[in-house]
Amino acid sequence: MKISLAKEFDNKAHQPVAHTTSPIVTGASVVALKFRDGVIIGTDTLCSYGSMADFKDVKRIRQISKNTVIAASGDHSDFQEVVRLLGEINTEALQYDDGVSPTPRDYANYLARVQYQRRNKIDPLYLMNVIAGYYNGEQYLGLVDLYGTYIEAKTVTTGFANYFCKAIIANYWREDFSEEEARKILIECFKVVFCRDARAHDRIQISVINKDGVRIEDPIQVETRWDFQKFATKANEKLHTQ
Amino acid sequence: MLKHLYDTDCTTWSPQGKLFQVEYAMEAVKQGSICLGLKSEKYVVLCSLKRQPSELAGFQEKQFKIDDHIGIAIAGLTADARVLCKYMRNECLQHKYTYESDHPINRLIAKIAEKSQHKTQNSSKRPYGVGLLVAGVDQDGPHLFETCPSGNYYEFKCQAIGSRSQAGRTYFESWFQLFEKSSQQQLILHGLTALKKAIMDDEELSEKNVEVGIVGVGQKFKSLSQDELKFYIKELEGFNAGDQMIVE
Repeated sequence: MKISLAKEFDNKAHQPVAHTTSPIVTGASVVALKFRDGVIIGTDTLCSYGSMADFKDVKRIRQISKNTVIAASGDHSDFQEVVRLLGEINTEALQYDDGVSPTPRDYANYLARVQYQRRNKIDPLYLMNVIAGYYNGEQYLGLVDLYGTYIEAKTVTTGFANYFCKAIIANYWREDFSEEEARKILIECFKVVFCRDARAHDRIQISVINKDGVRIEDPIQVETRWDFQKFATKANEKLHTQ
Repeated sequence: MLKHLYDTDCTTWSPQGKLFQVEYAMEAVKQGSICLGLKSEKYVVLCSLKRQPSELAGFQEKQFKIDDHIGIAIAGLTADARVLCKYMRNECLQHKYTYESDHPINRLIAKIAEKSQHKTQNSSKRPYGVGLLVAGVDQDGPHLFETCPSGNYYEFKCQAIGSRSQAGRTYFESWFQLFEKSSQQQLILHGLTALKKAIMDDEELSEKNVEVGIVGVGQKFKSLSQDELKFYIKELEGFNAGDQMIVE
């Protein structure tokens, strides 16, 4: 009879406890552009459950102060948590009641610190956050990713928009655009994203932030055409019938 | 006297509704050497008189930089002041790390006030025996605050605390309307003039016993150097507050 007195040593180094490293209910691309008088930001209104287009009318742009707005692609429950965390800053400001109100940059930097801390625990908030605002006569646009990287930029894209929209923006967008011109670019971006991203939706929501504050518009349908002759005559059917 | 019945600790009220321990702590502030502050549209200036415990000793520093946009002048127990100074510096650093921006001044003052009040409602603690004049600048412009051992705080256009501070306040009451439009130089000279009114007859202002700090829009908190102090103290001779009115 073999009695083992010594405990068997586990030679593997202790792995960090990882809770969520893969997202479940996810939002797709976000596109945001600075324009002459403010910032315009758009997302689609879809949350996917894996490959299922589960929730088709989700508000993925949230206002967090009277001059700041946040949107994100990635895990939607983590996005809701982020909105709650940033709301806590507002609650604290209310309790102090001393007229101090955080700027868009304050929110974005705070979020970057939170994301970085979570990343170090291998327990990230699985998000690409986009924070847009208008403060002190200046537009603000920032990107915070799940690692805690903090970027300020004039245009921001996340998800599939990174691959398909950066070229559109590079060629057709200019910093001194009016709101209408910037909106055209934004809608064009979402048309392309819908055509190519299998997790995208043709219903989008746009928000504009300028000196008058935040305006989150009602969702609109993106125009798409499917009546192209070759597509209609199913040119690819040949492959399937062989 | 009746006072002695109710002044043993912070948790005893007097029949007149006073907390004597807190009031005694405020006396400690009045014993400290004078420091004063005044602000214009763009700048805040802090002027302090440094005490020399003996001829062999150096002069006790009265002003500390908290962050690029905040500086303080102290009156009272220096040791207590150092504790508050360290706390303020830490808070500013943490804020900068988290938010990448300057700590809002009124929020910092509110934190000090909360800390101070906490000491006044505890039988095993004593209030801080120091009053601070906090000079800072934020997006609304320059600010001057006074904090108290009681946990109260006030914002001022100009204020003097410490020993013989009434003389400084009297000067301010006569001339404070000029400060808003004063230049940096005029503001410093006003401050030094007020300081001069508060010193003993056998004392003199010199670059050794005076400390001047300035912070403002586009001006990080800095203490004037010995040479700059010498220059301003010399300028005092020809300075007449009334002249500014004629120019306007």
